[in-house]
Amino acid sequence: MTALAERAGAPPVHRAPSRRRWRGARLAPYLFTAPALLLFAAFKLYPIAWAFWLSLFKTDGGLQTFAGAANYRRLVADPLFWSALGNTGIILVVQVPLMLALAIGLAVALDSPLLRFKGFIRLGFFMPMVTGLVAYGLLFAILLNPQSGLVNWVLGLAGIGPVPWLTHGLWARVAVGLALTWHYTGYNAVIYLARLQALPQDHYDAAAVDGAGAWQRFRHVTLPGLRPVVLLTLVMSTIGTLQLFDEPYVMTHGGPDNSTMTLGLYLYANGFKFFDFGYASAIAYALTVIIGILGLVQFKFLGDRP
Amino acid sequence: MAHLPRRRFLQLGALAAGGAALSACGGGDPAAAPAAGPTGTAATGDITVWSWQGPASMMKKLVPGFQKAFPGVRVDVQDIGNPAIWDKITTGMAAGGLGLGDVLHIGVDYLPAYIEKFPGGLADLRPLGADRHRGAFAPGMWETVSRGGKVYALPWEANSAGFYYRADLFEKAGVDVAALGTWDEVIEAGVTLKKKTGVQLLGIDKPASQADSANLFQMLLQLQDSFYFDMQGNITLDTPQAVTALTIIKRLNDAGLVADMAGGWNTMMSSIKSGSVAVQSMPTWFGGIIEETAPDQKGKWQVRLPPAVTQGGKVAATVNSTHLAVAGTSKVKEAAFAFAEYVLTRPESQVAIYKGKGIAPALMSAYDDPVFHEPSAFFGGQKKGEIFLEALRKPSYVTNYSADYPRALKVVTDAQSKVLLKGADPAAVLKEAADLLAQQTGRKVVR
Repeated sequence: MTALAERAGAPPVHRAPSRRRWRGARLAPYLFTAPALLLFAAFKLYPIAWAFWLSLFKTDGGLQTFAGAANYRRLVADPLFWSALGNTGIILVVQVPLMLALAIGLAVALDSPLLRFKGFIRLGFFMPMVTGLVAYGLLFAILLNPQSGLVNWVLGLAGIGPVPWLTHGLWARVAVGLALTWHYTGYNAVIYLARLQALPQDHYDAAAVDGAGAWQRFRHVTLPGLRPVVLLTLVMSTIGTLQLFDEPYVMTHGGPDNSTMTLGLYLYANGFKFFDFGYASAIAYALTVIIGILGLVQFKFLGDRP
Repeated sequence: MAHLPRRRFLQLGALAAGGAALSACGGGDPAAAPAAGPTGTAATGDITVWSWQGPASMMKKLVPGFQKAFPGVRVDVQDIGNPAIWDKITTGMAAGGLGLGDVLHIGVDYLPAYIEKFPGGLADLRPLGADRHRGAFAPGMWETVSRGGKVYALPWEANSAGFYYRADLFEKAGVDVAALGTWDEVIEAGVTLKKKTGVQLLGIDKPASQADSANLFQMLLQLQDSFYFDMQGNITLDTPQAVTALTIIKRLNDAGLVADMAGGWNTMMSSIKSGSVAVQSMPTWFGGIIEETAPDQKGKWQVRLPPAVTQGGKVAATVNSTHLAVAGTSKVKEAAFAFAEYVLTRPESQVAIYKGKGIAPALMSAYDDPVFHEPSAFFGGQKKGEIFLEALRKPSYVTNYSADYPRALKVVTDAQSKVLLKGADPAAVLKEAADLLAQQTGRKVVR
């Protein structure tokens, strides 16, 4: 943000004649960025720094005693932390790639010249994104209710026995994955679509001249073209997944037996259910480190190569 | 602070002292207060009361009467919802009392945590005159609200363990529920009931999707004078009593007698309406809920105290209670306390609440009212009030919920889910739960 502002601020001033105007121009970018920076400092930077400080304390609700790295040591020995991390990992490894593949397919389909009512259909796929997290979580919880849900009723018509959505470890994970996929696929597809429309047509023409079929054009022109946005969506989905909270909170409360407990939920439970804010802050910082490492790895493997 | 000009500092000091003096003269001397009725003519201001569903609606009805007695106080009763209220109180206390209501309705399961973990979060009620009500409540209640010589709340409802059942269904199955002596016999009765009527005995939220999924387990422990913690705060989850309780639940489940109440409260309510389970092993307050949920089932329900865990064992336990506390940061403590007193220490108020929602008071003098001794048409002419009053009068096991109850509840419900959904061994999962709780809280496990 600062880089942008500097670039914008510097060039228009060609050798300012008076010293006073020169100083004003040098100040301008800082003045323009100040409101955003101040707000960021007050509402983001300060809590972030304070949470780190808090993570070094043993908290008992209102009572705090300095404990150094004790919370972090406790974290390493906490089986619930590891199972929360494992659950998050499963979603990351299974749900995110499936959803992104689906989104790419969807984007290509939406870009097809054969498709009619494009605007309407695109809007339809993007709409879930507009739904509030809690609202759609509740919706899925009701639809997937094992006893009275619509989904099991329809499956029952097809002769498929009641599926223990939400009440069985594996199925609860599937249910959360389904909800996430429903909500975010259209959003990712729209990002891909924007990129697809920016890809130069002559690449496709050249490929066609070389005799490439539809699959080969997709494989050798479309996919490489999408690379930067795939990185973008992958990083965003990774961060989103690691911070996953609302959907499992509303649908399963992290149950049954912690099978959908995510790091976000565990953090929340420690802070607001168990009054252990120091430990919750330590979890938050562990999460930050994990997100940072994963982000770096993704940039390394998918980022623009010189 | 070091850079504060000296004069400014003195001004601030004077202000603070003035504030202290003000609050001291407001409620400092209980002897000076009028002896009759709720005290505190000095009580003025706007107060906010936090509660949930039924109790909130009952308090709203008491407000006009209260405001007639205290014209200087304006009362806003808010239905925060349960369990949302616990998160909201915690957040408020963590923020140093910011945005907290003045009067807080708090369950016995959360009271110790708020007292111990947020010193000053709840006001000591003795300076406001709480001591004059010391002997007014059911046995064990004053101990529950006191800690280290201070009094943090006034008791509202005292719930005894109960056993509500569909008498018509059991009659069809040829089972005499009143004669059931132990939970072993309950299991047998449940098998017969299912064979004859196809109805399952009771429901548990097996995946622990909502709070309250461990109610039955907890009651089975309390009937054995045991709980998650002993009075010293040690963990007692890996005891013979706990294994016995969870084994009863496993046997019920293995016999196919436990319906899954995943989804918690709403599922439970629809199971009452549809009659898909025959027993609600719930405390006193639940009678009013059944009556309200399924008025058309009038005459089909009956109630008794729960059967003992072992032959000749206890059948009475005060399983939980709720209380009104005053926020430590409230600026209108006198008015807040006056309202709590008006609701909780006047028999008329408690009788009205009992008539409205069937919430059983801890205030013993309220039980002189005939409403507690009338036959209930909904419960087949039984004197429901007397059944629970008898339990309430007995000396009860004082349950130590401790400040780590939320953590304990989490490991317990996880252990129960393992037993109910995966057929795990009760002793093994309880041992694991006890060890995990010890790791998280630093408490000792007593086996």
